[in-house]
Amino acid sequence: MMLSLAWKNIWRSKGRSFVVIGAIVIGVWSLIFMFGFYNSFIEALSRNSLYHDFSHIQVHHKGYLTEPGLAFLLNRSEELVDMGAEVPEILATSGRLIINGMIASPKTNLGIQVYGVHPTDEAQVTGLEEQLVEGNYFENSKRYPILISEKIADKLKVKLRSKLILTIQDAQANITSAAFIVSGIFHSKSPRINESVIYVRHADVVQLIGLDDQSYNELAYLLRDTETTDRVKVNIESKTENLLRTYREIAPEFDMFEQTSAITKQMITFIIMLALLFGIINAMLMSVLERTKEIGMLRSIGMHKRKIFLMILFETCIISLISGPLGLLAGFATNRYLSINGLNLSSYAGALEQYGAEAIVYPSIDYATYPLLMMIVLITALLGAIYPAIKATRLKPLEAIRKI
Amino acid sequence: MNVIELKNISKIYNPDTIPVRAVNNLSLQIEQGEFTAIVGPSGCGKTTLLNMMGGLDPCTQGSVTISGVAISTLNESELTDFRLKNIGFVFQAYNLIPVLTARENIEFIMVLQKEDPKVIGDRVDNLLKRMGITEQKDRRPSELSGGQQQRVAVARALASHPKFILADEPTANLDSEATAGLLEIMAQMNKDEAVTFVFSTHDQRVIDKAKRVITLNDGAIVSDEIHL
Repeated sequence: MMLSLAWKNIWRSKGRSFVVIGAIVIGVWSLIFMFGFYNSFIEALSRNSLYHDFSHIQVHHKGYLTEPGLAFLLNRSEELVDMGAEVPEILATSGRLIINGMIASPKTNLGIQVYGVHPTDEAQVTGLEEQLVEGNYFENSKRYPILISEKIADKLKVKLRSKLILTIQDAQANITSAAFIVSGIFHSKSPRINESVIYVRHADVVQLIGLDDQSYNELAYLLRDTETTDRVKVNIESKTENLLRTYREIAPEFDMFEQTSAITKQMITFIIMLALLFGIINAMLMSVLERTKEIGMLRSIGMHKRKIFLMILFETCIISLISGPLGLLAGFATNRYLSINGLNLSSYAGALEQYGAEAIVYPSIDYATYPLLMMIVLITALLGAIYPAIKATRLKPLEAIRKI
Repeated sequence: MNVIELKNISKIYNPDTIPVRAVNNLSLQIEQGEFTAIVGPSGCGKTTLLNMMGGLDPCTQGSVTISGVAISTLNESELTDFRLKNIGFVFQAYNLIPVLTARENIEFIMVLQKEDPKVIGDRVDNLLKRMGITEQKDRRPSELSGGQQQRVAVARALASHPKFILADEPTANLDSEATAGLLEIMAQMNKDEAVTFVFSTHDQRVIDKAKRVITLNDGAIVSDEIHL
């Protein structure tokens, strides 16, 4: 009877109930949409950094971090390269020789990082070949080929097959220069690489600076499963005197992304729930005040305060049990649609690229979020009902009778 | 046997500012099965007296004893429970729950009393029949006439098998026909089931039907007549 009465009381003022239900539906829907969007955004940032820049594990000489360059090449690098084939968790390995240098076009010059790479290995580790937007992937074998980003091409005001002069220090700290031909222009999903990295063949760069073909100052391992990163690191660490770092150690922003994401989601949830809380308090308070006489009569004929309190609580619970699932369903449907078709944010592509995000977002949300949100809505609704329910129990029966 | 026993009760509103003495040192006994009308001019204390009898308004002085229980000794929760089990209320404006049907309104008080559903069903059917509103049982208050609503209110008051029913101006909003019908039903219930009714009223038709008429003025009894 109490539940039945609570249900009927809800529909006493249909307009007000629909407004409250609508507000909760929109609130829940917007939370799910925002969670999905934010998850996808952060996931894209992390994925792009991981698969197009840092890889899971990087190996350097222990002195490299204090003095990057040619002074600290990897010890016994061939063993590290071989390990890529021996350790089953490793999908691909790329040895790199990284040197700071200067690149000059006929119009201007630029300070850059030169990545001397084995084209096939680098393609497997960072997908560099797939990121080409023009030209070919180191196929000009007559001259030194070079790959540059669209951004660097713009800055240098060069195009495909333009000649560039690369100036670097050799192993004896002598300045050496060579002419390179732009064989390809790429667009990396990593802003750092677009901004400051150019790729040349490892064979060309070691020849230029007088090192042997096993000279690397960085080795990157791409793993089959990100979850195995720490385990693989420990495994390889025990077999080498070089320094191994996981992507989280190299780029603390991975953790920061996740922490910021979690905090942002909690804050937005809190703000939306706070707004809903006040909406529910307001609506239920109006409902109680409209029923002052009736509640007074119920108290007069012998209805205990506890039951009055429960009646208001039931009403709010029913509203949240109707609106919560509707909001979840609407959020699920929206996310489902967008996870297939994508949310096109091309008009903001420039700004998104600055962060390493993608122009088309495919929202994704963990299924565990749905019951969690339902619980939060229910708790919010119950909290919102407490004050109006207390107000209802404090009504004096006689005051109601006097109004008759 | 006295169902209601009032001993030297007074009700003073605003005792610290401008005291208003609504009931003044009044004593009264009402026995089981009485059909009593409390009459008097507006402001004479009729409603205040009924409220004190119903445990809705505590008296400033004196004692109210209902079926041997001094209700001033009960706490708020006990008093609520006491009202639920012992007193039926009929209000001038009917005060039915608008979202419930006539039947549900009557059932409601028995549900509060945690009666057995079978008992509730039988009792409600019986009351609907006695009140002549069986056909209207599935209608909501807004779909009933004033007279029908007041019959539902009386049925609701009777449903809980109270010791007595307090009715504050029950016919004030009813036309002659509805008033006559309602009074007939209440008189019949009083005769058949010895239900005790106490009315406050201005309505001469109610006064004419009452077995006992108590007249108040300035919060005190000025006459107490038995109509045979």
